[in-house]
Amino acid sequence: MKRTTVWSRPSTRVAVVTLAIFFLGALFAPVVAPYNPTAQPDIVALKDLPPSVAHPFGTDPYSRDVLSRVVYGARLSMGIGFLATLISVTLGVAYGAMSGLAGGFVDAVMMRVLDAFMAIPRLLLLIALLAAWHSLPITTLILFLGFTGWFSLSRIVRGQVLALKESEFVMAARAIGANRGRIVVTHLLPNLYSVIVVAATLGFAHVIVLEAGLSYLGIGVPQPLASWGNIIQDGAENVSGLWWLSLFPGLALLAAVIALNTLGERIRETFQSTR
Amino acid sequence: MSDNGALLSVKNLRKEFPIRKGLLSRQVGAVKAVNDVSFDIARGETLGVVGESGCGKTTAGRSILRLIEPTAGEILFEGKDVRALDTSGLRAVRRDMQIIFQDPVSSLNPRMTVGAIIREGLTIHKLAEGSAADARVSQLLDEVGLRPEHRTRYPHEFSGGQRQRIGIARALSVEPKFIVCDEPVSALDVSVQAQVINLLQDLQREHNLTYMFIAHDLSVVQHIADRVAVMYLGRIVELAPAEALYREPLMPYTQALLSAVPVANPAVKKQRIILQGDVPSPAKLPPGCVFHPRCHHPAKDVACTKIIPPLEAKAEGHFVACIKQPPTQVSWEQQQQAGGTKPPERYLPTAALR
Repeated sequence: MKRTTVWSRPSTRVAVVTLAIFFLGALFAPVVAPYNPTAQPDIVALKDLPPSVAHPFGTDPYSRDVLSRVVYGARLSMGIGFLATLISVTLGVAYGAMSGLAGGFVDAVMMRVLDAFMAIPRLLLLIALLAAWHSLPITTLILFLGFTGWFSLSRIVRGQVLALKESEFVMAARAIGANRGRIVVTHLLPNLYSVIVVAATLGFAHVIVLEAGLSYLGIGVPQPLASWGNIIQDGAENVSGLWWLSLFPGLALLAAVIALNTLGERIRETFQSTR
Repeated sequence: MSDNGALLSVKNLRKEFPIRKGLLSRQVGAVKAVNDVSFDIARGETLGVVGESGCGKTTAGRSILRLIEPTAGEILFEGKDVRALDTSGLRAVRRDMQIIFQDPVSSLNPRMTVGAIIREGLTIHKLAEGSAADARVSQLLDEVGLRPEHRTRYPHEFSGGQRQRIGIARALSVEPKFIVCDEPVSALDVSVQAQVINLLQDLQREHNLTYMFIAHDLSVVQHIADRVAVMYLGRIVELAPAEALYREPLMPYTQALLSAVPVANPAVKKQRIILQGDVPSPAKLPPGCVFHPRCHHPAKDVACTKIIPPLEAKAEGHFVACIKQPPTQVSWEQQQQAGGTKPPERYLPTAALR
């Protein structure tokens, strides 16, 4: 009952539709994009064109079609975000669950190690690491974003596991003869879904922003590949003149992040209501 | 050895929780939650265990099933030493020993359907699978007064009493011989309490079950128990057939508990025994008799602070841990040597126990 009321809320629908459009656009970028995102058809006549029917989002100083770049940018930005989040969530859940299940000394050591990781600001760490590459392979970027994103989730998961493993229903499962593996799979993990899904959604939004920031600084996705961050950077030097260059990828970024955060909130509410 | 025909025999059970402090987790003390507890439960019997919160009754119940690892003592179930069992042996014995929890909310996994919850034991012990398991789940639901179609619902869709019935069905699924009922009704409304207790009694008759029924409500225990053990600060201070305990409580603590039971008759003016002070911390037990700081027995003296009273028979089957209630193995001479000044005398404040 409660589930339907949450899903039927307009903000949930708007968020889901927005994300669906972005995902489909990213997936079918070659079909959706009107031009080749890296093609420079006429660097003199077609450069710096404001939005028009032929180029709805205008063109950039290299005469590339901005709409096509934003669509392909969605592909890269969301793809990188999705894969990095997948890595973070896997690591975070595994580490947190292990720490919580082990308890005692092992738990204490694992948590102090985690504290050490968390003490380093993620953005600075990424800048330091990524600056070592001249032209960064996308896989490396995904791995670094994934490997630096699991700390807080693992702490949350560990806390949940500690609470759950002392809960009476886990005790009841032990009493009926369930072994450790069964308890983890049927009693702990399903009760972590809500935390994991919410953290994944919010983490996804965060990684997209992070990647955009790094690409903006020129150490993320390398040119001529298009990511929302480096398209914004293309227009950053001349925001008053070529406003369309930064505005459209900026709006896309904003819409994706707001949609993801809204969805995360709604999922949290849904799970809470069925407790 | 179950030489006396007991289904379960507990001897000198102890459970201490270490208190750790500081960076190196140095152990600085221990909470003696269960302190040298011994009792037998006969097949088909219901042993009531009462005491206020923190007296160790829940810990005792969980220790018997090794849901909490006991610190010391012996637990014999059908002659098997439960503490010596390995993982697979323990799994096997847990088919015979089950538990019903106090909290109907936290004792059911919120992410499992009722059917899945009840079915888990069937799967683990390979009792039934496929449609046979479905049929068994339906049968169990029916047995505890729920409907078979409830199996696809989640625990949060049920009321407290219904949830407790689900917990009972789960315990019954593996056809146990013995069930620890850990305050199964204290979280329920009074009207629902009676239904659940009647259900437990019906099930006991049908399946020849043996219960260890833990409660803090004496009137509930009086209704269901054959014998009653009263616990205080981790020890059994009185153990007697229910009827004898309610008619003639000899331990001053039991007397105080019984005097606090309300009577549904405004004309009866009951004298209450008001205990002084609070329950001492189980991390810092009083020496001698644990109850002596709050005891109102007129013969209480220095000996009570020195001698740990043995749980001894005062009448046939009526065990009491009090050296001031005659007869006692702790002779008057021994008590005097310990500084005793008042000889044991029988004390039964009838005005408080009507």
